[in-house]
Amino acid sequence: MSDVQLSHIAKRFGDHAVIHDLDLHVAPGEFCVFVGPSGCGKSTLLRMIAGLEKISDGTLSIGGRDMTRVPPANRGIAMVFQSYALYPHMTVAENISFGLRMSDMPKAEIERRVARVADTLELTPLLKRRPSQLSGGQRQRVAIGRAMVREPVVFLFDEPLSNLDAALRLQTRVEILRLHRQLGATMIYVTHDQVEAMTMADKIVVLSAGRIEQVGTPLELYHRPDNLFVAGFLGSPRMNFLRATLVPDGEAVSVRLAGGGSLVFDLPGTPHGEATLGIRPEHLRLLRSGEKGAGLVLSATVDLAEHLGAETILHLTASDGTALLLRTEGLARETIGDAVQVLVVPEACHLFAPDGRTLLNGSQG
Amino acid sequence: MFPAPIQDARPLGRFGYAAAVPIVLVIWLLPLLAIALTSIRSLEDLSRGNYWGWPDRIMAVHNYRAVFTSSPMGRYLLNSIMITVPAVVGTLALSSMAGYALAKFRFRGNLALFAIFIGGNFVPFQVLMIPVRDLMIHVVPLYDTIWALVVFHMAFQTGFCTLFMRNFMRELPDALAEAARLDGVSELRIFWHVVLPLVRPALAALAVLVFTFIWNDYFWALVLVQSDSARPVTAGLQALSGMWLASWQLMSAGALIAAAPSVLLFFLMQRHFVTGLTLGATKG
Ligand SMILES: Nc1ncnc2c1ncn2[C@@H]1O[C@H](COP(=O)(O)OP(=O)(O)OP(=O)(O)O)[C@@H](O)[C@H]1O
Ligand SMILES: [Mg+2]
Repeated sequence: MSDVQLSHIAKRFGDHAVIHDLDLHVAPGEFCVFVGPSGCGKSTLLRMIAGLEKISDGTLSIGGRDMTRVPPANRGIAMVFQSYALYPHMTVAENISFGLRMSDMPKAEIERRVARVADTLELTPLLKRRPSQLSGGQRQRVAIGRAMVREPVVFLFDEPLSNLDAALRLQTRVEILRLHRQLGATMIYVTHDQVEAMTMADKIVVLSAGRIEQVGTPLELYHRPDNLFVAGFLGSPRMNFLRATLVPDGEAVSVRLAGGGSLVFDLPGTPHGEATLGIRPEHLRLLRSGEKGAGLVLSATVDLAEHLGAETILHLTASDGTALLLRTEGLARETIGDAVQVLVVPEACHLFAPDGRTLLNGSQG
Repeated sequence: MFPAPIQDARPLGRFGYAAAVPIVLVIWLLPLLAIALTSIRSLEDLSRGNYWGWPDRIMAVHNYRAVFTSSPMGRYLLNSIMITVPAVVGTLALSSMAGYALAKFRFRGNLALFAIFIGGNFVPFQVLMIPVRDLMIHVVPLYDTIWALVVFHMAFQTGFCTLFMRNFMRELPDALAEAARLDGVSELRIFWHVVLPLVRPALAALAVLVFTFIWNDYFWALVLVQSDSARPVTAGLQALSGMWLASWQLMSAGALIAAAPSVLLFFLMQRHFVTGLTLGATKG
């Protein structure tokens, strides 16, 4: 088990800076997930750790040893590519053993390792096949097997599941987690799938435009986002944002929504001015006729009702034109065109400054 | 589907197609047929003007044997092989390595170098005649040896082949070489064990093409060699033309013999022309 330490890491392609002065520590044995929008530099960062891209600035150490300039093969890492990158002209067994065969390792040891990896990944019956004779999921397992056979201290995955269909994705996700428990190796995993990030990670790193927005456990990030970007990025359907104005009121602050109505928060010493109020779809509550709730009531009309079975996502337009998403029970009877009353409870709200910083995270989880 | 398969055309179109194919085929193959027929005629038959009719005597064995006995045809053939084989092997080796570097490595001047390779293909080779001949006589003393032709053909063909290999290799996923690099495999071994097996169809196609070019070359065989010991079969065919009378039957037989190796190679290489070798490398 080894930790991975990035200090002041930067990457430039010519004049184009892709990663800016980034610090990150991944603890030994941790499952760390990088998420972020397309083009934010996740793959680049991973490839820098792997040694496939030169590090322009800063230092990288793995297991306490400086690896900034060490060739990829000597870093103790293995990588699984999004495209699998299997050698098409080699059988599964040859694919898995290729790296070892090119080193001085004795034949018997190679065979032993390949057999063990094949056993773990249930590839034994497929060892003689070519990649073109395998299904997507099987190819994925071969790619993982090729990484495992090197017995690395750190595994790197670049969107390994994005080419699989939903069912296989779930199954492979579970398999990778089982592998993580079994091997105890440090794993760094890139994805832009929310569910993968939330379910697999010990630690999520949210990246945007080559910078870290926030690092934390999945639930920390979900419930206590540091800024507007993280709040909007994690969660599906995404958090609702309402434009608001802050008016200080003694020890408290009154948040006036652009669409009318206001809420009061305990927030001493906040500047007044523009702000954004955030609330997750599951924290908005429908008020059925005659019901009363403590909080702000918005009236809205239903644009679309997505019945997902266990739950229903209502797409609403508030009276001031703001689009809202609301998550409610699976048997909700609301349909397109209905007028509804929506309750916003202050305990569930997040408040963001105009520059995106979080002023306040709701206490209701 | 476009173009629509001929089976789906209207009857008239289908009939026209069926009629046109043999006609075109005959026109196309007529010269070849004439040469083949001529090569088995007797000289008298030809002097009587029987160019298209059935030969009065089948002289196949006699004519083809005469090709070898009345001229140093065996020597010429051997020279051709000794020129063509090393030139083709050398060209493919150089161009696949250069193509790989140009396709997959980021270095300053990559594009400029590639542009030179492309540009080189547009130089008409006649322009090179005097300088290359002078070069071979005065600077690298290879004039009138087999090596003069080997070296020249290798240098000349590498340009086009590099362009071809570079574009072919560019399609290979980067991740294949990267995966090997992560495993600590040296660049040379990546090239040998990963890249070359995947460009086999391109290599086979180029091998046939370049072999045919070099084997059929006449121009440089005249410019760079003059003695029988280095003369390839194309230039050597002249020796069959006869002292006083044109021996068309011998020249035809010699021409067919000279053409055979290229055709043979094509059929030998055919099973390598399979595409889709990278199938299964990625998600598929
Ligand atoms: N070789 C390169 N040369 C120049 N720019 C590059 C190169 N590779 C990546 N980039 C740029 O770096 C940025 C980050 O790319 P990267 O592939 O790391 O994104 P990503 O976060 O992995 O995106 P995705 O989710 O789409 O895979 C992009 O703007 C990309 O254009
Ligand atoms: Mg990526």
